[in-house]
Amino acid sequence: MKKVNVIVLTGFLISLLFSCGGSGNRVANFNFPESDSIPINEAEKLSQEAIEDIVQNISSPVEMASLLQALEVPFFTEYLASTREADGLSTNFQKALQLGVYGADLGYLNIYEKTGTAIDNLATINKLADALRVGQFFDFETLKRLAVNKTNIDSLVFMSVHSFNEIDEYLRENNRGYLSSLMITGVWIEAQYLACMVLKDFPHRELKDRIGEQKIVINDLLLLLRPYMNSDDEFSDLYSDLERIKTSFRPVEITYIPGDPETIERNGRLVVIQNETSVIMIDDDDLSDVIKITEEIRNKVIANQ
Amino acid sequence: MKRILITLTALFFTAFILSGQDSRDMVSKCALGIGENTTYLKDFVIKLMAASSGSETPVYKANIYLMKNQTYLFTMCNGDGSEGELVLQLYDKEKQIISSYNRNTDMVYSALEFVCNKTGLYTLWYSFNDGKRGNGVGIVSLLK
Repeated sequence: MKKVNVIVLTGFLISLLFSCGGSGNRVANFNFPESDSIPINEAEKLSQEAIEDIVQNISSPVEMASLLQALEVPFFTEYLASTREADGLSTNFQKALQLGVYGADLGYLNIYEKTGTAIDNLATINKLADALRVGQFFDFETLKRLAVNKTNIDSLVFMSVHSFNEIDEYLRENNRGYLSSLMITGVWIEAQYLACMVLKDFPHRELKDRIGEQKIVINDLLLLLRPYMNSDDEFSDLYSDLERIKTSFRPVEITYIPGDPETIERNGRLVVIQNETSVIMIDDDDLSDVIKITEEIRNKVIANQ
Repeated sequence: MKRILITLTALFFTAFILSGQDSRDMVSKCALGIGENTTYLKDFVIKLMAASSGSETPVYKANIYLMKNQTYLFTMCNGDGSEGELVLQLYDKEKQIISSYNRNTDMVYSALEFVCNKTGLYTLWYSFNDGKRGNGVGIVSLLK
């Protein structure tokens, strides 16, 4: 009998092992209390899964910062969200949203190699990640060491962005998409805010285009948030605020000029130049509206109102 | 029985953790090879079974926003023991823009640069050449 039990148990464990094999860089599943997952009906759940499949990478914590650096725009400490408020965050909603905001700031700090300030930011992110029980993806000690040494910025950027990607993936796969969508929203709002603030003093055409073309992105961001929009007052409020940003983009016109891609080979790599182009048209008054509303909503987010 | 149960459970969790760790190592190793003047954005760990006879090649699809005036580098790394080489096809809606596999020369490129001039949602199709079984990592980075 004992032998049979061992065989059955071994088979069960092996089958469990194989069933988890396809999950790539996932980490073990843990069960989280109900408070972390917003109950949604099956239809909504299905549509949410479909949406998450549609968009895996709405906003990167470093992409906007990389553009600012490429445009040789100086770094501005005053644009960063203060980390002092982080201790006062009481709900998971606030923590996840702010995690995204601080993540975008961390990207900005790292890209500009402001690693001294980044340590404070790292500590805050670590605290929030622990509070949301995703701290296992954030190797604070290694990140801190990389920031202090300042010798390998690429590794610092890789590790911090990779940690964010892992947190996002983990939350989505563990029925905590609610928190993931907030984190992504926080990253997007902060990145857009940084671009808007910089544009005021450095009116680069590329930056203006980057802000304007978020008209495309915000639609998917709202799609991602839609299943949770009526889950509580905080979420409804955030959703309404983002709809205000969406409305401010209404006058932005995006047209496309067709063209076939060119392919060349350079140093063993294939290089493809896309000749189809998008053209963004936004006049200064409309742009001012986008900036004003973005600034207002971002400041509301960091004030936890 | 109790001892066996504990041992098997421990083995199970060890194997599970190692599996996650292996993926992480694979991503880190691949990220190390993306070269200088790049900023890592995203990775995809891909594990696909071999195509069964007569069926289509298994594909892992992922959607990603790419921005105008940016040059993206797509790096493909094959995992240890992978039977096939990782191939990337980049789609703009239904239209294929690029493939890292050149049918004419039967060559699989491990890196692609994409000079993006149109902001939008693109789809990455990862597969293994000839529909072989394989595992690997695809990394998306920005070229400075």
